[in-house]
This record gives sequence, C-alpha cells and structure tokens, in this order.
Amino acid sequence: MSTTTWHADPNLLRAYVEGRLDAVLSASLERHVDACAHCRSQIGPLVEVPVLEEAWSGIRTGIESGRLPLLVRLAQRLGLPEPTGILLAATASLRLTWLTGGLVTLCFVTLASILADGAALWPFLLVAPLVPVLGVAVSYGPAEEPFEALTVTTPYGRARLIMVRTLAVLTLTLPAAALLGLTLPGPAWVAVAWLGPALAMIPLLLALASLTGPRLAASLLSLGWTGLVLFAARDLPSTWPVEGTQQVAYLTLALLAAAFLWVRSQRTQQIGVAL
Amino acid sequence: MNVQLTGVAKSYGGTPALQDIDLEIGTGVTGLLGPNGAGKTTLLRIIATSIAPDRGKVRLLGHDPHRGHAELVAARRGLGYLPQELGYPADMSTFGFVEYLAVLKEWNDRRARQQEVRRVLGLVDLADLAGKRVSKLSGGQRRRVGLAQALLGDPALLVLDEPTTGLDPAQRATLRRTLSVAARQSSVLLSTHQTEDVAAVCDRVIVLVGGRVAHDGDVAGFVASARDRVWLHDRPVADAVATWRDPAGGVRSVGGTPPTGAQAAPPTVEDAYLLLVGPAAVEGAA
Amino acid sequence: MGMEAPAEVEDAVLLRAAADGDLGAVRVLYERHAPWLTARLMRRCNDREVVVDVVQDTFLAMWQDAATWRSDGEVAGWLWGIAFRRMVSRLRQRKQTVLMPEWDGAATGLLPAAEDQVLLDVEYGDLGTALRRLSPEFRAVVQACVLDGLTTREASRLLGVRENTVKTRLHRAKAQLRGSLADLRLEGLT
Repeated sequence: MSTTTWHADPNLLRAYVEGRLDAVLSASLERHVDACAHCRSQIGPLVEVPVLEEAWSGIRTGIESGRLPLLVRLAQRLGLPEPTGILLAATASLRLTWLTGGLVTLCFVTLASILADGAALWPFLLVAPLVPVLGVAVSYGPAEEPFEALTVTTPYGRARLIMVRTLAVLTLTLPAAALLGLTLPGPAWVAVAWLGPALAMIPLLLALASLTGPRLAASLLSLGWTGLVLFAARDLPSTWPVEGTQQVAYLTLALLAAAFLWVRSQRTQQIGVAL
Repeated sequence: MNVQLTGVAKSYGGTPALQDIDLEIGTGVTGLLGPNGAGKTTLLRIIATSIAPDRGKVRLLGHDPHRGHAELVAARRGLGYLPQELGYPADMSTFGFVEYLAVLKEWNDRRARQQEVRRVLGLVDLADLAGKRVSKLSGGQRRRVGLAQALLGDPALLVLDEPTTGLDPAQRATLRRTLSVAARQSSVLLSTHQTEDVAAVCDRVIVLVGGRVAHDGDVAGFVASARDRVWLHDRPVADAVATWRDPAGGVRSVGGTPPTGAQAAPPTVEDAYLLLVGPAAVEGAA
Repeated sequence: MGMEAPAEVEDAVLLRAAADGDLGAVRVLYERHAPWLTARLMRRCNDREVVVDVVQDTFLAMWQDAATWRSDGEVAGWLWGIAFRRMVSRLRQRKQTVLMPEWDGAATGLLPAAEDQVLLDVEYGDLGTALRRLSPEFRAVVQACVLDGLTTREASRLLGVRENTVKTRLHRAKAQLRGSLADLRLEGLT
C-alpha cells in the first residue's frame, strides 16, 4: 500500500520533533518523511526558528565569502589582519602555482650550482634575485588593468596595495631562496650576498614601472641582470656579481631609485602614476 | 557644492581632451551628454581622482586632492566610482568582488562590511547571485555589480560612467529609482548616451562637445531651448539636423526651416541635444 | 522563515541552479530540507551546537558538490546521507556518543491514534513488535545500517565494534526479523 495519500497529523509530527515518540514510531515516521515532501514541509513551523536562522547565516556567509586560499588562512592564524588577507587573496603571484613554480626553478638552479661544485655559481646568482622581482612585478596584476583603474580611486589606494603585495611576496620567497642558498658550495657568505641585488632590484623595479609599466620594467631588469651575470661568468670569478664593490653599486642604484620614487610621489599632480 | 572645477584642462600627447572646464556640481543628479570623444570619460576620471588634470583647480567635497596625500584620501572617502570599463580578477564571486572593494574603502570590521555588501547587492537586485562567479554573469549583471561597489557607504559623490549600458528597460528603471534616492543627499554625476535617462532622472544636464562645455543648466531649460524648432509634417523638413518617422504618423524633423503646414512639436531632451551638437554628431563622429 | 517554499520547482531543478551559483535556490532548498534534517539530527544528538554546525556543513557541502550530483534518487535522501555522516564523524572527533533512539518502554503519554496506526502498518507491518524483540546490539545495527543508511564500515566506526561484528549482527538481526514476520515490507531485509 502506498503512502502517497497518508500524511502525518500535526500532533504526531510535534511529538516527533519534541522527542516524545518512541523509536519504532520515529523510525516509521522518518521513513515516510524521506519520501513525502508534504510532510517535510509540515515540519518547518515546528522547529525553532532561531536554530534555523543561526545555521542559515553561517551558510550564507560561507557561500558569499567563499574560502580564502590556504596560505592566506595560515597567515591570518599567525596574526595577519583579516582585511589584508582578503586583499592578498586576490593577488596572482601569491597563488600556490606561482610559488611552487618559482621554488622549483630555484631548486633546479641550486642543484646546477652544486653539481658544478662552486666553479659556476652563476645559475643560482642569475635566478635567485629575479624570483622575488618577478613575483613583485606580477603582483601589479597586469591582467587586471581596468580593475586597477578603479582601485586607484579608493582610500586604501593602489600604491599601498602594491606595497602590501610586495611585502607578502618577499616574505614568502626570500626565506626559501636563502635556505637554498645555504646549500651552495663555495664561500658561505654567498648564501646571503645574493640578497643584495635582490633587494636592490625591488625599488629599481618600482621606479622603472612607474615610467614604463610593470611588465616592461621587469623585462628590462631581467635582461640587464642576465647580461651582467653571464658577462661576468666568462672571465671573472664566480662570486663577482655579489662581491663588495658591486654590492655598493647596487645599494647606490637602489637609493637613487627610492629617491626618484619619493620625489615623484611628492609631485601629487601625478596621481596614480608614481606606482 | 560637492564638486568645483576651475580652468581644468587635460591633453593626451598633444591632443587636447578637455579645455577650460569650469563646473560646479551640487546635490541631485547631473547628466553628462556629448558625442564620443568629447571628453566625458576624461572629465569623470578627473573628478574620480583616477587621473590628474594638466591645468586648473579641482575641489571635491571640500578637499583639494592635489594638495597632498591626506587631502586626496579624504576626498576619496566620500567617493563612489563606476568606470566605463571594469575588469574583474578571475575566480571572484560577486560577493567577493564587492567585498574586496569594501576592504579598499576601509570597511575593516567583518560583520559591518558583509552587511554593507549585502545591502548594496540588494539595491541592484543581485542578492541571489552573490555566490556566482563574476565571469559567469551577463554583461548587464556585471554592470550592476560595478554599480553596487560604487554605492558602498552611500558616498556623497557618485561618479558613474555609462551606468545604463547593457541594462534592459526594467533594469534601467530600477537604476533610476536607486539613483534618485541616492541623490537626495549626494551628488550623482552620470554620463550616458541615452537622452531618456537624462529626461527621466536628471535635474541638471551638462553637454560636452570637443572638450568644452557646450551647455550647463537645468533639464527643463535645456528642453525649452528646442521649443519651436522641432516640426511634425508629412515629409522631412529641409535643412533639418535629423529626421525620423514619428510613431503617431508623419515625419519628425529637428531644426531646419519649416514649410507652411508643419506643426511645432513638443521638444524632448534628445531634440535639444541634437540641435546643440549639430549634424556632425548625428553622423556618428568618433 | 515561515514562508512556504514554492512547490512547483523541483528539488533537482533547484540543485542545478545552486550549482550555477544561485543563492536564492540554496535558500529555497534550505527552507524545504533544513527543518526535517534538524529534527532528525536532534533525535540522534541533543547537543544543539553540534546540530547547527552539521546543518551548516551539510548545506555548504551541498553547495559545493551540487554540480556533481547525479540525478539518481531523491535530493532528500542524499542530504540525509551527508548530514548523518558529518554528525557521526564530528561526534567521533569529540568522543561523544550518538544518541540511539529509545527502543524500550512505551512512549510517554502518546498513544498513536487509529490513523497513525495506519502509518505503522503501512511502513512496517508487524515489524514494530519484531523490532522491539531484538536485543539492543541488534537494534543498533538495524538502526544504523537499515534505517539511517550507513555502510557496515561506517556503522562499525559509529558503534565502536569491528566491521565483521556489524556484519554478523546485521545478518542475524535480519534473520531474526524474517523469522518473526510474514510481511517483509522493510527495505533491506529481503
């Protein structure tokens, strides 16, 4: 006999919801409710509204906000403020794929340098400083240009957004690269020395980008640095690119770039151009 | 006055986009009309502090955005902007997109921010699509998402570059209602190609032609300027700026010398605009 | 929350809309299914906090997996499967026990009206009495596997016994039930 014409009476349902029904009756009723949309709808008014509303607001928030990427959630647990987390979550270069790609590349070149047994440090010295630079360049979000035109008009502002992204990228890539650097053969100070050009190139990148845009600036810097390292690899000692005199040169360039940026941003007629 | 521009000019690589702009905008809805290339988008971008003018002074909400960072940020706090073209980061949901901009507008408290995002999505009828990816929305729906973020925080100055593009008539009606409500306490400045938008919701109209202000005044006065210059006859009038078939029968001609027997027709915003802008615009100048 | 959900739109259609990102469809599905799911869960675990969490997780899972649902069977059954499994795993994590419905004792103060007796006859025939005659361990596996739809492995984790034990008890319980009835209406017993 089918149950399609039988429906539970309200008292029975109420008894069920309130837990006054014994197991067999409950089991029967549940069986019926599984298949009967009408009785399901009759249970609605019998369940406490606050319970249902509480669960709903959690569901709605979960659907609307979605889940932030794992990395960002981890950072938030370590103290990153929630609004900053939301901003970073949308950044291309922080995506796990980018980071993994960058790390994998670094591993390869470290391996290459190790295998060459210190005679050729240039693969590592070539790539290591460029990884954070390229990460920063990507954090401008070139694919999102029309979007950037909107973000520049907000109180937070594009400049601050780029700074935050830059810091995030550096926090993630520099320690990893430094650790890899420690595994290099040759003098121990090389492991930290490559940080010199890496950090110097950041203000250079930002300064160039304000003139030519991030992609061209990153390309120019990469070409320049590649040329320098490869040229040095031919005749000069393998640690030349990161030796004392050169470091001073990088530092000077970096300071000049920073000064340039500062002057440009002071002339506020150029809104949205310095960064 | 929420917006004051004096002697503003802007050129792009030698070509002047705006010249000698003097404007004052207060509360209410102001429509910005003009042929393509007249400088509407440039003007709106300057008012939205997206770019800076080459010359001239700008005052927004009592601040001078070119007088240092603090003033700039103060001006931006009262601003809502919808650019003509809006890009969306891949993978963002509707809610996520508006929430991102809410964070950029300094809504740091999570509960307040999410409530505000829901509120503005409700204003543009997108509450049900909050979880949907922006890339999967239709063009009109995306425009409404853009509008929603502009409405965050009930800004005192709302700058909208062609907000009605891609909206069907019902959505346009809803938009007009939303803007009318917003305009009770704010300045709403919108550019549009639809003169009916101006007629339906604007109190003032500014017409830009060739980078200059060709007209600036209330809508009623603008329409009145076309009185006795629009004709209804059984055939087109000679020297008319534009003619088309009138739905009630006959031919409607804007401008020109009417022959005897032609009736004067009640003018519309469109008529006034066509008369002002001239035949060059009708040809669809770039 | 008192609005009757529009009856014309089928669950399957709503689920497809939800897969596409329609929050309104999720809300309608919620209004239709959350109440009975909540009631049913509350009868397994009277901790309100746990029930609210489980209901939230269930609908979020529904949202995420909506696109993968193949239209086999009822949405209602699918949702209960998700919900009950979540509750079991959550309670296991917190080392709480799942309340097993009270099989002993007469229902306090409520005797089914003649009409409701129809329900019992319709669903279980004489099974009610036969079920009451089972020992507690047998009842537990019948409740878990047959009535709540768990697999024997899941039931073994829930009840804290080895899977083979569950299988044996289930087999014996079914045999016992089959032996005491003429009318085998209960699914899963044949």
